[in-house]
Amino acid sequence: MTRGRAFGVLIALASGLAQAQSPEALGWLRKIQDATQKLSYRGTFVFQHGGRSETSRITRYVDAGGDIDKLEVLDGVPREIVRTRDTIRCYLPESRVVKVDRRNAERDFPALLPERVNALARHYDISLGENGRIAGFDCETVLLAPKDNLRYGYKLYADVHSGMLLKAVTLDSNGDTVEQFMFTQLVIGPVSRDMVKPKQSARGWRIEDSAAAPARLAGWELSSELPGFHKVSELKRRLGESRPVGQLVYSDGLAAVSVFIEPLEGRRDPVRTGLASMGAIHIYRREVANHMVTVVGEAPGVSVQRIADAVEFRLPH
Amino acid sequence: MNDKISALMDGELDDKSTAEMIDWLGHDGDALHAWRAYHLISDAMRDSRMLSEGFTARVAARLSAEPALLASARLQAEPRKWLVLSAAASIAAVSLVGWLAFAPQRDAGSLQAQVAQAPAALTPALRPVADNKPPAIVPLPRGTNDYLLAHQGFSPRASLQGMALYVRTVSDQAQESTK
Repeated sequence: MTRGRAFGVLIALASGLAQAQSPEALGWLRKIQDATQKLSYRGTFVFQHGGRSETSRITRYVDAGGDIDKLEVLDGVPREIVRTRDTIRCYLPESRVVKVDRRNAERDFPALLPERVNALARHYDISLGENGRIAGFDCETVLLAPKDNLRYGYKLYADVHSGMLLKAVTLDSNGDTVEQFMFTQLVIGPVSRDMVKPKQSARGWRIEDSAAAPARLAGWELSSELPGFHKVSELKRRLGESRPVGQLVYSDGLAAVSVFIEPLEGRRDPVRTGLASMGAIHIYRREVANHMVTVVGEAPGVSVQRIADAVEFRLPH
Repeated sequence: MNDKISALMDGELDDKSTAEMIDWLGHDGDALHAWRAYHLISDAMRDSRMLSEGFTARVAARLSAEPALLASARLQAEPRKWLVLSAAASIAAVSLVGWLAFAPQRDAGSLQAQVAQAPAALTPALRPVADNKPPAIVPLPRGTNDYLLAHQGFSPRASLQGMALYVRTVSDQAQESTK
């Protein structure tokens, strides 16, 4: 069965029935981006993928001294992620572990700057769709229809007044929904600092620090880049308890794909070559030059696999 | 009984119960009504496009207009296909369960390690080379959560969606914790 009303519109636009890029639609993307950065809010949203759904609460506290975001999962075992200006902490009470990832200006992907929004138009047809109503907010919809099958399409619903993103649907090339995020309740306005504090004291918990730092991964590269995807970051980090890993990140301006490279030494079980998926995320793993290469990205399986198949190691000169 | 209809929709019944349920749906008007209603609810939740009015009637009319021989060949072919599908599903289920069950014990025992080593040597030869060959579908690797956590911060979508993307990381933890 096709679930493609939205995609029908996207196809119509892609085939050039309407003007390719509307300046209004680009303006709306910038408005959404501004709202994401500047607004404080607290709300409940549902994440749906592959027939599953999960409810979470998200709180954003905007402050000159540094913004803080908190995500709490309301279904199942309580878990939370808190993001401050320079760290992301993931609290996992069940295993009594805090995973810590450092952020810094250099490695953090710059927001969709205006020129980047324009660059998106190379790979997506961006237009406005019909209006909708989500969680009591009247919404404008922005459609991003991919120009090829290497990326997903998106339908974004933003509050007409504030620009706040209320719903985001990811669509595959058949127009089927791959995953969606949707607020079911949202209050935009000041929140207190207490509301973004982690509930967990995490005293005595194990800390897994990623120690991520920009680095040059000499010899590792793609034999050919995927159209539209360019390397945006290269770093070393630790994964899980302590495994050292290299990470290369490629992006087309909206979707990102990470290539993780780990030495096979000390690994007893064989590398299972193949594709796994969860919502819009695909993971493809294979062995290259005695290393395990794991490619993770919010892109169709074919894109993730093509990047994985292009990974090669050449002895640096 | 409504539980069973819902289980049938989700493909959770064994072959025998499935056959019984389908038989029952064919005889019981209320059950068939519930079956349709459930699908309607599920379609509505998924934002699916509705079929045009009278679709079922038109399909039924087209089917009865088909030559009798063709129709019966289809009917005969159908159960076999179901068997293959359900067998494939069972294997998939078994391998998923197997994977989940074995994952934490992988490092234990040298014999197990040796067995595990053997296929490793074959892996490079098995690497898919042809572009058009569909990839092997495998379960999410162990530690998927760590990869997602490491990856998510680089997604430019975050500038439109803020923290929400990190829910993917967390939801995977939910899967891991059930093994």
